[in-house]
Amino acid sequence: MTTHDHIDEGARVAERIERRWATLSVAIIVVLAGMAAFAGIHQATMPQARVETIQPQTIHLTGEFIESNLGSAVEPDGSVTVRAVGQQYSFTPQCMVVPNDTPVVFRATSPDVVHGFLIQKTNVNTMLVPGYVSEIPAKFTRPGEYLMPCQEYCGVGHEGMWAKVKVVEKPEFLSMIAANRRVTCVE
Amino acid sequence: MSDDRLLSPRNPWFTGSVGITVILLAATALGGFVLLPYAQPDLKLAGIWDAICSAAGVPKASSAADPVQPESKLTRVVVTSALPSAADPEAVGRGATLAQQCAICHGPTGVSRADSPNLAGQYAPAVYKQLADFKAGVRVNATMTPFAVNLSERDMADLSAYYAFLPRLPGFHPASDKPPPRIVINGAPLRNIAPCGSCHGVLDNKTGSPWLEGQPAAYVKAQLQAFASGARRNDISQQMRNVARRMTSEEIDQAAEWYASQPSTRVHTQ
Amino acid sequence: MLSSRRLVLAHFWLAFAAFGLALLLGAWQMFIRSPLHTWISNPEWYYRSLTAHGTVMGYVFPTLVAMGFGYAISEVSLKQRLVGLRWAWAGYWLVVVGAIMAMVPVSLGRASVLYTFYPPLIGSPFYYLGVVLVVVGSWIWVALMSVNLHAWKKANPGTSVPLPMFANVAGSYLWAWTAVGAALELLLQILPVAFGLRSTIDAGLSRVFFSWTLHAIVYFWLMPTYIAYYTIVPRAIGGKIYSDTMARISFILFLVVAMPIGMHHTFADPQVGAGFKFIHSAFTALVALPTLLTVFTICASVEIAARLRGGRGPFGWIKVLPWSNPIMLAVAFSFVMLGFGGAGGLINMSYQLDTSIHNTQWITGHFHLIFGGAIVIMYFAIAYDLWPHLTGRALADLSLMRTQLWLWFVGMIVTTFPWHWVGILGMPRRMAYFDYGDPAVATQAFSVTLSAIGGFILVASGGLFILVLVRSHRAPREDAGAYRFAEALHAPVAVPALNGYALWVALMVGLTVTNYGFPIAQLALRKDTSVPAVYVGANP
Repeated sequence: MTTHDHIDEGARVAERIERRWATLSVAIIVVLAGMAAFAGIHQATMPQARVETIQPQTIHLTGEFIESNLGSAVEPDGSVTVRAVGQQYSFTPQCMVVPNDTPVVFRATSPDVVHGFLIQKTNVNTMLVPGYVSEIPAKFTRPGEYLMPCQEYCGVGHEGMWAKVKVVEKPEFLSMIAANRRVTCVE
Repeated sequence: MSDDRLLSPRNPWFTGSVGITVILLAATALGGFVLLPYAQPDLKLAGIWDAICSAAGVPKASSAADPVQPESKLTRVVVTSALPSAADPEAVGRGATLAQQCAICHGPTGVSRADSPNLAGQYAPAVYKQLADFKAGVRVNATMTPFAVNLSERDMADLSAYYAFLPRLPGFHPASDKPPPRIVINGAPLRNIAPCGSCHGVLDNKTGSPWLEGQPAAYVKAQLQAFASGARRNDISQQMRNVARRMTSEEIDQAAEWYASQPSTRVHTQ
Repeated sequence: MLSSRRLVLAHFWLAFAAFGLALLLGAWQMFIRSPLHTWISNPEWYYRSLTAHGTVMGYVFPTLVAMGFGYAISEVSLKQRLVGLRWAWAGYWLVVVGAIMAMVPVSLGRASVLYTFYPPLIGSPFYYLGVVLVVVGSWIWVALMSVNLHAWKKANPGTSVPLPMFANVAGSYLWAWTAVGAALELLLQILPVAFGLRSTIDAGLSRVFFSWTLHAIVYFWLMPTYIAYYTIVPRAIGGKIYSDTMARISFILFLVVAMPIGMHHTFADPQVGAGFKFIHSAFTALVALPTLLTVFTICASVEIAARLRGGRGPFGWIKVLPWSNPIMLAVAFSFVMLGFGGAGGLINMSYQLDTSIHNTQWITGHFHLIFGGAIVIMYFAIAYDLWPHLTGRALADLSLMRTQLWLWFVGMIVTTFPWHWVGILGMPRRMAYFDYGDPAVATQAFSVTLSAIGGFILVASGGLFILVLVRSHRAPREDAGAYRFAEALHAPVAVPALNGYALWVALMVGLTVTNYGFPIAQLALRKDTSVPAVYVGANP
């Protein structure tokens, strides 16, 4: 065997191993992307389906985000919609109450700057961008009190922007909402 | 090795890379724009075009069926950084004439001797918003309401311009070098109280919020108590009520007294 | 010796000086928001510092390293004097002026908007102008890299472009196109508002523009590190590049797929359609491919070095590697951090897993591990490797260099692992202080304290790094010989596709148009999504 053949042979071996590794890498990536797609469809964790716009300057004048319409509401199908506003530097309502084991939809927006909407220990985590409505579905399975910090820098008072979400048993929630069309846990 | 030969359908690198890219793009587009919308729970689609548009992010305007209407009046003022802050001399002059009726309580130079707010140098949007709220009956005060109901839109703008134009007078309230209380510079995060200073001066200013340095302690205290009890509710989307209702009475006292003791500092935001 | 060594030294020294200052700010931030310190007496200082830290570490430091290293690569690998030395100095001074112009308003508290800008928050226009100048300065470098390559190609027709230069120019094109997103945001949206010509801004659109820059900028930061993996490490440890072809394919893949994936930063944003989020998520998975290829090729190249030193057995060869060589140590640490950081990245890229950690401290932990860890430790290695050739003096104290690298590695792990953990607990980002007295937050206190201690270790390491470099300027003169890059085991294949960029740049631009065109166009054409600006910057 000449030296030249030896080098060619070496190059061929190297190339073959490389090709195998490249194929394996592609397979790893396909499996990962497939897992993500599968989880998305089967766990129904998907991005907000529609983009909704809203005039941020006037949300306190008309529409679903006026002060008296904020808080939790029961829909005809028994699910609960919670409407909230995130503004410099608080969420209104600053304490939201929802029933356990019930489909809940949070609808929220911002009148001023970008805020974050994160309920700790859950998968409820989205952005509030002025001009758009954010909608996040959720279902709570453990009653208790959850912290809800703003997770995006929104100005000098950002560190003081912490709301709460209270998950209560369904009968308790229904008795709370019997008297009002909207309910919160703000004392 | 010129690039010209590369960009030809006969080059395997060209056909390979463009082909793979196009296939990937088509596959992911099919997934994202067609399969995904149909897999979304609770999404009502009016056909495949609607599915594609919703996935592409074509916005629709938010519509609320039958929102719950408020029991009492809420403020109608729109506060943005576009509200006028610097006004022309004519507006200031007209405002000065109108302000003569305000002088009994707010002082001839905008500095009160009667525990009414000092208006000299107050931000124009802050004065304007309160006048508009008094006029609309959203904020009620036995003395202010009768004055405000007769003001026109222009009157309110000119008065705001005049007071914003007046220099803030130091010295009426003695300056002190007490360190600011924690509630003013740090708030109480887990009670959802941002620092007072992040909107009202010392740290920053939020458009529409008044500066508080040198304001009478009794006035600031009374307003915080009114916000806390819900007696005053002309703050947009409860932004002040959220803060005041979670403050302790000691914190209210500390904030009011500390701000009253401070010399006025001008906080520019634009 | 390099004819442009003063230029390269100027870039490196400015880069590392800025890095040192920003590192101090970072450690100070970790400290004051940890339970080791009481609440800061002015929270605005924290955000001021955060803006400065992010701006320097994100825009100034890595750009200067890439520029300086790029000039050195051009001259060494092409064996030709740098064309356009005056322009290069002009670019350098633009970066200097831009960095100062940006930092003055930041330090005065007039632009505490963070390095990600976050409109509708609007700060002093000079902050944004300064950032624009830094980018323009770096674009001169991009143009010079292209000019130098074309001059060389003209003089050497039919010859394969040396790998270091091929990768370097790929990186410069990547940066040129990446920066366009933020440049459009700054020039079309933010600056007119900051100068008061307009009072409203579409915050949703600006977030889309920024995502175009924000993800691919990481690959720009990564480029010098990957170039060092392929072309410095094998030579420094006495081995060869396992595959020149695979290296080129990796750099090409970065160029093509780094851009059309940025919307995974806007997974939770309400203004982006779900379909585009899906496409970007799928392409994000693809960008793992060049990294997987690189990990294989570099491990194989390192193994070659070990076998040449007499290493045996399936794993026994690892023992005979030259562990006392700082470059060996750096690349090992870099790979460990890249492994952990990459695994975290796989979590961020999937919409479903991202929801539990989006915008929590996990994210900060993640990019500090990747950028501060895997990438920056190789910047140190590059400096150590080049320094004797730049100063004409030896770097004698290997043990000090090893201590520095160890400290950086340990510090980065101690900083970022607890950081990831509190992120999983839901701790939000960018807060000046936390109420650790509350039982719900108290559980995070220990982890945050650990992170802060990690920050101090990093400062110690950064100090040692500067010390090593300063001491070398006082060492006795010594000729380091000609600088050279690693050679490939098998000669490079001279095909046009692996020696030019036309096809790849076309694909890069094409994919950006398909993946960003519609979301940007539809938001830009709508009038009803602009919101009033919120000006920051009090002057108490």
